[in-house]
Amino acid sequence: MNGPWVEKYRPQSLDEIVGQNHVTDRLKKYIGNDDGMPNLMFTGPAGVGKTTTALALVKSAIGKYWRQNLLELNASDARGIDTVRTNIKDFCRLKPVGAPFKIVFLDEVDNMTKDAQHALRREMEMYTKTAVFILSCNYSSKIIDPIQSRCAIFRFTPIKGQEIINRLKTIADEEEVEYEDSAIESIVYFAEGDMRKAINILQASASIGDKINNDTIYEVISKAKPQDVTDMITKALTGDFMGSREILREILILQGTSGEDLINQIYRDVSRRAMEGNMDSEVYINLIDGIANTDFRIREGANPRIQLEAMLIKFL
Amino acid sequence: MIWTEKYRPKSFEDVIGNGKAKKEIETWVDNWKNNQVQKPLLLIGPAGIGKTTMAHIIANEFSEYVELNASDERRYDDIKRTIGESSNTQSLFKKGHKLIILDEIDGMHGTNDRGGTKAIGNIIKETKHPMVMMANDFYSKRLTSIKPKTLVIKMNKVHTNSINALLKKIAIKEGIDSDPQVIKQLALNSNGDMRYALNTFQATSEGSRTLTMDDLAEVSKKDNVSTIFDAVQRVLKSKDLVKVKEALRLDEDPTLVLEYISENIPREYEKKSELKKAYDMVSKADVYFSRARNTRNYIYWRYASDFMGVGVASSKDETYKKFTKLTGPTAFTYMGRTKGKRVLRDSIAGKISEKLHISNSEAIATFPYFEAMFEDDELAWDISDFLSLDDDEIKRFRKKKISKKVITKKEKEKAETLTKHKLTGSVNENKLFDSLDIKNSKTNNKKKQTSDDKRISSKDKKKSESDDKDKKVSRQTSLFNFQ
Repeated sequence: MNGPWVEKYRPQSLDEIVGQNHVTDRLKKYIGNDDGMPNLMFTGPAGVGKTTTALALVKSAIGKYWRQNLLELNASDARGIDTVRTNIKDFCRLKPVGAPFKIVFLDEVDNMTKDAQHALRREMEMYTKTAVFILSCNYSSKIIDPIQSRCAIFRFTPIKGQEIINRLKTIADEEEVEYEDSAIESIVYFAEGDMRKAINILQASASIGDKINNDTIYEVISKAKPQDVTDMITKALTGDFMGSREILREILILQGTSGEDLINQIYRDVSRRAMEGNMDSEVYINLIDGIANTDFRIREGANPRIQLEAMLIKFL
Repeated sequence: MIWTEKYRPKSFEDVIGNGKAKKEIETWVDNWKNNQVQKPLLLIGPAGIGKTTMAHIIANEFSEYVELNASDERRYDDIKRTIGESSNTQSLFKKGHKLIILDEIDGMHGTNDRGGTKAIGNIIKETKHPMVMMANDFYSKRLTSIKPKTLVIKMNKVHTNSINALLKKIAIKEGIDSDPQVIKQLALNSNGDMRYALNTFQATSEGSRTLTMDDLAEVSKKDNVSTIFDAVQRVLKSKDLVKVKEALRLDEDPTLVLEYISENIPREYEKKSELKKAYDMVSKADVYFSRARNTRNYIYWRYASDFMGVGVASSKDETYKKFTKLTGPTAFTYMGRTKGKRVLRDSIAGKISEKLHISNSEAIATFPYFEAMFEDDELAWDISDFLSLDDDEIKRFRKKKISKKVITKKEKEKAETLTKHKLTGSVNENKLFDSLDIKNSKTNNKKKQTSDDKRISSKDKKKSESDDKDKKVSRQTSLFNFQ
């Protein structure tokens, strides 16, 4: 297989996983243990190995027929709790075949609403005999207590720079691409402990040049940067509301960014402007007031497009 | 007799418009007549432009036909029963082919049509007979699996001039006294929908044998959009509380009215302070709409209505004395315009998220990296193969096509690796488990390959050879590790 390196070099066993020894060492005790496995919850930022760990654990705990006894669901993609529930029900109703138990791996659980989480909790109770649940999320604080108390919680930490460097170099050597050491260091800087991002940048810059150096890295980074958000805010701040609204629609509709994600990016961009000394305190706090209000209203269920348009007007 | 039936074209020559589509269809029919098996036809186009007519004209060219319509239930079994049997049997008494017609295949939905798309796929695979399918929406998800297996023919709206000419002809035949201007207006109103034009013509002229502008106005009176514009106009142009409240009493979805108001505020209001106040009101109205929706207390609508009506109206210092051209919500037209791109985006994201175990939104966030990776021809092929991307999806990441040379080379390599696996018998039924082992063997052995920096084809061959050898060993070790 010569596809994306993130998949090609995904660690297949717990031993290969980098930078999460405090987690993997504990997990290994569950393998081959006759008492079975409790429900697990993996929390931590993106790209640190939660899914990889779950898959590796499943393979070693279930054995040869892991594929048939694993249900993998992404809570943010499954439309509504009903899909999640029917999927889980259909899967758990039958006894495991060729394996001691079945595993339900549910990713991005913190994107589920509270109601959906309560429903999930009932599913978890109903199938304790046949299935083990592995839940994965970015913030355990967003998970309701009843679920947390039913899980053994494992906290994943951002992967250390040196460990990412080693991994990237191993991959580059294996793929026989040349690189400059300083380039690898810049990747690590941009990746912020996110291994998936780091490997994606590595492969992308390997394919646009003969050699991985700082130039190819910056080319890739600048492509992947959400430049549109900055443009949108600049247009609004300089009084071009119609232009700003145009970009807003492109981001929400064409790129499919969610309201919550976009408001995070807007907050980051505005506070970066303030930190760089380009903004008066009073102006800044006024903008933040608008962002905060909009954020609350969107999370409450209002229409993100209308709310964000109304917010951009405040930037004028 | 209904005119749409009376004046329905009986042969290819009678059909108005869509010359190119007509030609393609005629060749398709001719090829069948010469016993050359053809892919099924898929006619795609908006309502009322003659898709069904076309299908029936085609049917005239064959000895027999079966038809399944939108009004029938199209569960898997039903389709199988009605068409499945006849799809691979031949008539005893009549020679020639039997045409299968499936109408509105993108309209299948719900439990009654369960498995419908799958059944169609099976019929396409099995049938020995010519087949014609019709659909409205080119981008419908239900068509994605069907489209590649068919000859897709896009049919366009009929030009108003052609409709105009047809209506004139009918007017003479039916002896209807009418002003050419009125007929032209009717042709314009139809917006390319021939069925609408004929039905309206018949409905308005029957009995009186005349057609006037008043008749037309009577028919198009029930146009709700114009009343929405009236309401928006009132909100933006007036400061009179009573008038604004009255204007907002209309038979429309109020959240849609809010979209119209929000769209047009910056076209009318000029001062920043006015804009800020007005949008504050829009935002509040939206909040109450969402509260109404979430709690099912639709009593909140009245507050929303006041915020977007009186609230927005009173945000201006005084009324502007200028003409403002109002428009419908451009966000909606933008959604319509970008539908194709968005469907493409989601189908790619779905494939990535499945293979790379990430959510759809995260998959979309990695698009820029793929754009960079796709600059390399061979890698572009590898990734497309890995994700099973189709040509349109590849185009999303690179404008240039992957060169033929690379494609043939890569496909040859793939075929070679496959046959090699078969010969050595190392591929067992559990393929995925194998891929796991390949990974293990690579890391266990840490084998350094000694080919130079250019990716030469022999490199991949060598790799698969060494993988084969290592596989058995590594399976033992990996099992050992697990226990």
